[in-house]
Amino acid sequence: MARTRNDILQGTLALLVLKCLDARGRMHGYAITSHIQRVSAELLRVEEGSLYPALHRMEQDGWVHASWGTTEKNRQARFYELTAAGRRQLAAEQESWGRLTEGVRRVLRYA
Amino acid sequence: MNWLRRIVNVFRPERLSRDIAREMDFHIAERRDDLIAAGATPDAAEREARRRLGHATTQRERTREVDVAAALDAFAADVRYAARALRRTPGYTIVAVLSLALGIGANTAIFSVVDAVMLRSLPVRDPQEIAQVFAGGSDAFTNPIWEQIRDQQNQFGEAMAFSQHGFSVSANGESRRLAGDWVSGNYFRMLGVGTVVGRPITQADDWRGCPAIAMLSYGYWQTEFGGRADVLGKSLVLDSHPFQIIGVAEPGFDGVEVGSPSRVFVPLCAEAVSRGKGSALDRRSSWWLDVMARPAAGGSLAQLNARLAALSPRVFAATVPPRLSGAMEKEFVSRQLTANPASTGISAIRQHYGRALYVLLGAVGLVLLIACVNVANLLLARAAAREHELAIRSALGAGRSRLLRQLLTESALLATLGALLGLALAWVTTAGLAALLASVGRSVTLIVHMDARILGFTGALAVLTGLLFGLAPAWRSALATPRGALSSNPRQMSGGHGRLTPAKLLVCAQVALLLPLLVGAGLMVATLRNLTTLDPGFRAGNVILMDVDAQHASTLSASQRADAYQAILDRLRTLPGVTAASASDITPIGQSSWNDVVAVDGYSPTTIEDSLANFNEVSTNYFGTLQTPFVLGRDFGPADTRGAPRRAIVNETMVRKFFRGANPIGRVLRVNDGPTIGPPTEVIGVVKDAKYGSLREAAPPTVYVSLAQDTSADTGFSFEMRTLGGVNSVRAGALAAAHQVDANFGVSFASFDDQVSRSLGAERLLARLSTIFGGLALLLAMIGLYGVMSYSVVRRRGEIGIRLALGATASGVRRLVLRDVARVVVLGLAAGVIVVLVASRALTSMLYGLAPNDPTTIAAAIVALALVAAIAGYLPARRASRGDPMLALRQD
Repeated sequence: MARTRNDILQGTLALLVLKCLDARGRMHGYAITSHIQRVSAELLRVEEGSLYPALHRMEQDGWVHASWGTTEKNRQARFYELTAAGRRQLAAEQESWGRLTEGVRRVLRYA
Repeated sequence: MNWLRRIVNVFRPERLSRDIAREMDFHIAERRDDLIAAGATPDAAEREARRRLGHATTQRERTREVDVAAALDAFAADVRYAARALRRTPGYTIVAVLSLALGIGANTAIFSVVDAVMLRSLPVRDPQEIAQVFAGGSDAFTNPIWEQIRDQQNQFGEAMAFSQHGFSVSANGESRRLAGDWVSGNYFRMLGVGTVVGRPITQADDWRGCPAIAMLSYGYWQTEFGGRADVLGKSLVLDSHPFQIIGVAEPGFDGVEVGSPSRVFVPLCAEAVSRGKGSALDRRSSWWLDVMARPAAGGSLAQLNARLAALSPRVFAATVPPRLSGAMEKEFVSRQLTANPASTGISAIRQHYGRALYVLLGAVGLVLLIACVNVANLLLARAAAREHELAIRSALGAGRSRLLRQLLTESALLATLGALLGLALAWVTTAGLAALLASVGRSVTLIVHMDARILGFTGALAVLTGLLFGLAPAWRSALATPRGALSSNPRQMSGGHGRLTPAKLLVCAQVALLLPLLVGAGLMVATLRNLTTLDPGFRAGNVILMDVDAQHASTLSASQRADAYQAILDRLRTLPGVTAASASDITPIGQSSWNDVVAVDGYSPTTIEDSLANFNEVSTNYFGTLQTPFVLGRDFGPADTRGAPRRAIVNETMVRKFFRGANPIGRVLRVNDGPTIGPPTEVIGVVKDAKYGSLREAAPPTVYVSLAQDTSADTGFSFEMRTLGGVNSVRAGALAAAHQVDANFGVSFASFDDQVSRSLGAERLLARLSTIFGGLALLLAMIGLYGVMSYSVVRRRGEIGIRLALGATASGVRRLVLRDVARVVVLGLAAGVIVVLVASRALTSMLYGLAPNDPTTIAAAIVALALVAAIAGYLPARRASRGDPMLALRQD
């Protein structure tokens, strides 16, 4: 199974999810959506249809660990937290995202 | 780890789906709460929440795909689905699986016998290197030739020699034969066969004047000695001499002759112990050894042959047999040693049963094809019934290959079930088959077992059949366009009202395959009948044969032996229950024969073959006992004794060939014994032709000489006793009679009938099994035809209802359906007859007394087939004619 299908959005989604979990700890899927939206000042909006396949893939890849838990509203939700492999993956993705934006910035400036 | 989890997830689909659904539901609930908090109405919030997440099922499936091994998941789903579909229609499934199981089981069983007889490699080291050595085209060697080869084997690799020998062992006064081998010292080393207990025979054991030692086969050790280790050092009495047991061969090794497993192995040199003065070790004209060779390490068969050829002149120059004419000696020394591959060992039964087994393999192949056609038909009918469902799935976006895969999974599941059941069936029947082979023929002992090869064969069959019967219906279904299938009611969809549908064409094919099978079976049965009812020139019923072996009563001189035989015969004639008794050197349809060149004045043969006649040496009343009538002249009488002039009785063929049909009484013949011409022998009688060695062969020209005039009586003789029945009391009396004359004589009994019938082993095997397979195929085809016609009648219910409503009579409807059956069957028969005429020629050499295109047999097969077809077709026809027209019409 391909690790990422080579569309940027997909890759970016993984990066954002990993970052959220790194910053905030254990979260369920809906909270991740809301968090990304809030932190990005509504600039970014997670396509909800892509979220769960992405989360499950990250789980299969061992970047996140999932477990069932109870929310403050007393609902059963599936919570995700970062694993050690996920933290390494986050560092790698941040690094490559930095290179990507730097590259794009340079092209936009000097081309 | 992940893979493991994904594979695990495949097998707990419900739990996985439930978890995913729960997670999605939670998401929607949270979103809805937020939307309501932002002021939306509950309804709108719910709708919006669902809209944002996207199509629920797609969403779930996409998520699920991540969690499972997709290909495996699809496969597992297919298998589950197929299993459910098969469970829903148990009748269909049972018929299909049983058809396949019978077909595959029969094939596996026959193949395992073919494998055992023809194909399996010897259980020795690197069997592919083993070659059999021939001398001038013959596989027999004298010991002097073998010793030449043995002493020069370092020039080509390694060679060993052996000779099969039936060791005489005594039990309860009767002697029996224990199959064994004289083996050269390096026999076990060359073959790479070791021992489980004790040590093998080695070169150090093989020297002139060696002591008598023996090795046992594992099987013999188990059955005769209970596998006890203390057997070592014990002695085994073979041919009346004690042999010390030194070891037990590895399990599975029974010598290199397939079909007659060796129980004991004795060094070649010990032949002198057993045969004493009659030893063949130094005889240059006793051809009794087989030689096998293995090329030197890394060498090829070609190299082996080249080295053997180079060696040949020296070997043969040193071993010229005595008393050869100049031309014959020249021919002898120019002989060449050659080697042929023999990785599967050697076997006398191969030529006898080989063809029969391949014919049977062909027959079971046809049975399997017929079974496949049945299953294909059932699948086709189901596919037609499921066209609607498949069309819907196709319209909903299922890919063609996905649908095809699904249908093939069902076939594969059927094939697998059929193969498993077939394997079980074969497991049960192969032992019986080996026993049948052993019981119908002469001394055939087959070790048939299931191994990876057999399992592989069955597996390959299953795959092949699954594809064969699965592909066509699957392809047809998958090609169906959604539009066409959806546009109408499923029941009306398919045409084929009385037309030749694919299903009916398959039935045609079935009939065309079945006819050759039935004709073949008929030919085999007729051949066996011809052979068992022909007049062999003697009456075997109620005759007991007693073999007396005086080989080990070695203190008797030849003339003393002859006197002893006469004494036994005199006693036998006085036994109660014996109406006539005689003695002879050879018994008809036995295993031995004797021929010699005969010279008759006025007859000048052009070839050696034309000057040969078969011989037997018989006592007085031999012809009376066997009930072979005299045509002319008289039997041997009390006056024909050792001192009197030589006398002979000849058969009719001898008269026709050597005496040009003239009355031979009083004429003289001479027997060419090597370069010398025997004494003049006067013909005193002519008897009717009697079969000599084989029921199939016409009686050869035969000369019967007088036992009483023989001065060099053989070490073995047969006695024939015509009895009133009461075989056991006669046996006991006869045994006592022989032992009263000499307690050292080895005695064994057989029924003459049994001896004659065992010569027809291959024929009996073929007749029995081809009848069974023919019946099986007939049953399968009947089921197939019944199924197809029943289905066709169901489909035509509407049409038939209208006909009945419009005034058609029940018999008219029956005729309508039966006409349909007849058309299918006649078409199939026409094709079948062509197949028969082309293919049955392959059977020519196995037939007796009829041609492969025997019209009676073909007609009988056609009638049998037509009858079965009529029965299979009549049942659905009757059902169709009894239907209530209103009921049928209302259904559409």
